[in-house]
Amino acid sequence: MRKINQDKREENIYQTQKKGFWHEIVKARWPYLFISPFYFLFLIFGAFPLVFSFILSFTSWKGTGPLIFNNFGNYKLILTDKVFWQSMQNGLILFFMYVPFQILLACVLAVILNSKRVKGFKFFRTVIFMPYISSMVAAGFVFQLLFGSRNGLVNSILGFFTIPLIPWLDSVWGARFALCALIVWAWLGYNMVFILAGLQTISSELTEAAMIDGANSVQAFFLITIPLLRPVILFCVINSTIGSFNLFGELMSMFHATGGNGPLNAVITPLLAVFGQAFHNFKLGYASTQAYVYFLLIFVVALLQLRLFNKEVD
Amino acid sequence: MKTKIVKILVGFIILTFVLSACATPATQAPTLAPTKPVAIETAAPIVAPTTAPTNPPTIETAAPTAAPTAAPTAAPKPTGKITLWGWSYDAMQSTGLVDDFQKEYPDIQLDFVKYSSTDTYQNLQLAISAGTGAPDVVQIENSHLAQFVDLDGLLDITDRVQQYIPLMNAYKWVDAVKDGKYYAMPWDSGPVFLYYRRDVFKAAGLSDVPDDVSAMVATWDKYLETCTTIKDKTGKNCFAFSRANNDARIYEIALWQQGLGYYDKDGKITVDSAQNVATLEELGKFWNPMVVSEEQAWTDPWYAELNSPDNSVASIVEASWMGIFLKTWIAGGTAGQWGVAEMPAFAEGQVRASNDGGSTLAISSQSQNPDAAWAFIEFMLGRDNSQLRMFAYTDFLPSLETTYGDALFYEPDTFFSSEMTRQLYLKVAKEIPTAYVYGPNYQLMNGYVATAIQEYATGKSSAADALKAAADRIRAETGMP
Repeated sequence: MRKINQDKREENIYQTQKKGFWHEIVKARWPYLFISPFYFLFLIFGAFPLVFSFILSFTSWKGTGPLIFNNFGNYKLILTDKVFWQSMQNGLILFFMYVPFQILLACVLAVILNSKRVKGFKFFRTVIFMPYISSMVAAGFVFQLLFGSRNGLVNSILGFFTIPLIPWLDSVWGARFALCALIVWAWLGYNMVFILAGLQTISSELTEAAMIDGANSVQAFFLITIPLLRPVILFCVINSTIGSFNLFGELMSMFHATGGNGPLNAVITPLLAVFGQAFHNFKLGYASTQAYVYFLLIFVVALLQLRLFNKEVD
Repeated sequence: MKTKIVKILVGFIILTFVLSACATPATQAPTLAPTKPVAIETAAPIVAPTTAPTNPPTIETAAPTAAPTAAPTAAPKPTGKITLWGWSYDAMQSTGLVDDFQKEYPDIQLDFVKYSSTDTYQNLQLAISAGTGAPDVVQIENSHLAQFVDLDGLLDITDRVQQYIPLMNAYKWVDAVKDGKYYAMPWDSGPVFLYYRRDVFKAAGLSDVPDDVSAMVATWDKYLETCTTIKDKTGKNCFAFSRANNDARIYEIALWQQGLGYYDKDGKITVDSAQNVATLEELGKFWNPMVVSEEQAWTDPWYAELNSPDNSVASIVEASWMGIFLKTWIAGGTAGQWGVAEMPAFAEGQVRASNDGGSTLAISSQSQNPDAAWAFIEFMLGRDNSQLRMFAYTDFLPSLETTYGDALFYEPDTFFSSEMTRQLYLKVAKEIPTAYVYGPNYQLMNGYVATAIQEYATGKSSAADALKAAADRIRAETGMP
C-alpha cells in the first residue's frame, strides 16, 4: 500500500513537471493577468526592437522597402570603420579622464557632508545635486560659451594669469577636457547621493575604533570607509562606464555645430555613431550592426568589472 | 460564484485597456516591416543652415509688380485640410501670401507646423518609415532632397510640374528627379557671393565699392592677398573658416563652382580626384599663415563676429538667402556696413558662380489631398507674383526664371548701402554650373569629407591622403564605384 502511494506521488510530481510552465500560469492566471501590461509593453518596445534590429544588422535596410540581406557585409564593414572604433576609444578615454576623479570627489564630499560638524547639511546636499536635475541642453550651451576659445570665460580668467589662450573646443584634448568638466559638474551630485546613502549605513563606531587605535582621519577614510563603500562605488563605476560610452545629450548640446562629434571626432561616442548612421545617413542596417557590436563589447566590460571588484571584496 | 463573475469582469476591463493600448501603436504604424514601398519625404538630421528668419525683417516693402500669372482653372477647386511642415512659414505669412491663398481657395484649411530644418527631416524620416504621420506639404533643402526621394516617401508629381520644368533653374531639378520622375518643386536658388564689411575694407585702405572688390577677389589667390592685407593693416580675420570643426560647406561651394562634386554624372565617387585635392589645397592656403577666424558656422560667437561694430570679420562667402539672416537676427545692427561682390573664381577667367543650399516644396505620398497640396505649392512657387513678394522680403532668389524681368531686380537694397544686389544675384544665378555635390548619400559624404578636411587642416594628414581615406570609406559604405 505504501509503495503504491509513493508511486502515485512520484507520478504527480512527474505530471506537474511535464505540465510545468503553462500549468503554473493557468493556476495563477489572475495575478498574471494583473501584471500582464508589463509583458505586453516589453514585447512591443523591448523584445521586438531587439530581435528586429538583430535581423536588420544583416541587411542594408534604409527605412523603407524590402529587407535585402547582405550576409556579413555589415560586420566586415565595421572592422575597418575608423569612426566606430574611434568612438569606442573615446568612451574609454573619457572613462579614464573623469570617472576616477568624479568618484573620488563624490566620496570626499559625501564624507564631509556626513560628518556631524557640517551645518546646513540639507542645503549643501541640494545644491550639489541641483545640476543633475537641470536641463542638459541649457547646461551644454552654457559650457560651450564658458569654454569658447576666444571669448569664453575660462580663457578670460586664464588670461588674467597671463596664460595663453587654450583652444578648448577647437582641439581634440581641449574638447574632451571641456566635456569632462560638464560631466563632472552635472553628475557629481548624482553619484554623491548614492555614496552618502552608503555612508549612512556604515556605523561610526568603526572609524572611531580606528581613531582610538591611532589612525588619523585620512587613514580612516582610505582604510575603513572606502573599503566598506565598495558595493556602492562599484554601482557608481559601472553606471559611469556605461554612461561615458552612452553620452548623447551632453554632446548634442555642447557640440551641436558638428552634430555632436566634436573636432576631428574627438568626443563621438558609440551611441552617437549609431545615431548618425541611422538618422543622418539612413543606413539602419549598418547602424544595427554597430549597435550589436557595441552591446557585446560593453557587456564584456561590465562583466569584467563585476568580476574584478567582487574578487577584491573576497 | 459571485466573486468569480466579478473577477471575470475586472479581467475583461483590464484586458480591454491593455489591448487598446497595444492597438493604438499597431494601427498607427502598420508598415514597420518593409512591405510596401512608400513614397514619402524623410528627415535628415544635420544642422542645416537655412533656419527660418525669426524676427520681423527691416527690409523695404514687397513690390508686387508682376501680375498673377496662373488663372484659376475651370476644374472644381480642391477642398479640405492640408498639413505643412517647414521653417520658412514666415516668408509666406508676413508677405500676405497665406491670406491671399485663403481668399482664392477658401475651402482649403492650412495647418502649418513650424519645425527647424533638423526637426523637419527627423520627423519626416520617422513618418515615412512608419508609413503614417507625414504632412501633405513639406519643405526640403536641395542638400537633403535626393535622400528623401530615395526613401520613396514623396509623391510623383511629374505631370503637375511638367509646365515648370523649362521655367526653373536647370540645376535645381537634379536632386528632384529619380528614374525620370519628378518629386519636388524648386523654391529658391542659392547663388553664392562675397558679402563684405565696407568699414573693414576701408580701414584696411582698400576700396569698398562692389566692382572694385569684385576685381580685388577675382580668384581665390587674389582673395587670399586681400585677406592678408586686411590682416596686416587691421588685425581682423577675413572670414570664418574653422580648422578642427570644419563643416565642409565652403569646400563644397568651391567644388560646385568648378562643376565638381563628390561624384560625377555616372555616379562614380570623385572625392579623391586630383581636382578635388587641388581645391582643398587651394583653400588650405588661408590657414597658413592664418588669415581666417576659427568660429564654427551657426554658433553664437559666429553671429557675434558678423554683427560686431568694431571687432568683426571682413567677409563671408555665402548664398543669397544669407541676406535675410544678416538683415534680421544675425547682424541687424550693421545696416549700411555691408557690400556684395562676386565670389572668387578658382582660376583666372573661370566661373564665379556657385550654389549653396536652396529649398523645395514636396508632397508626401501619404497625403490624402494631393490636389489641395499642389494648389498650395503652385500658388506659392509657380506664380511670379508670389515668388517676387517672398524674394523682396527674404532674399530667397526665385528659381522661377519668369520673374527675372521684374522691376524689383532694379531696386536698390538699403541694407547693402543701396547697392543693386538683385541684379548681381541674377547675373550669378544664370552661371551656376551643374555639379554633383548633393544626392542620396550627401549626409554620409559630407560627414566623411568634413573629417578629412579637419585632419588636413590640423596637419594630421595631407589633403590627398585624407580625401583618399574618406573616398574609400564612402565607396565601402555606399557601394558606389
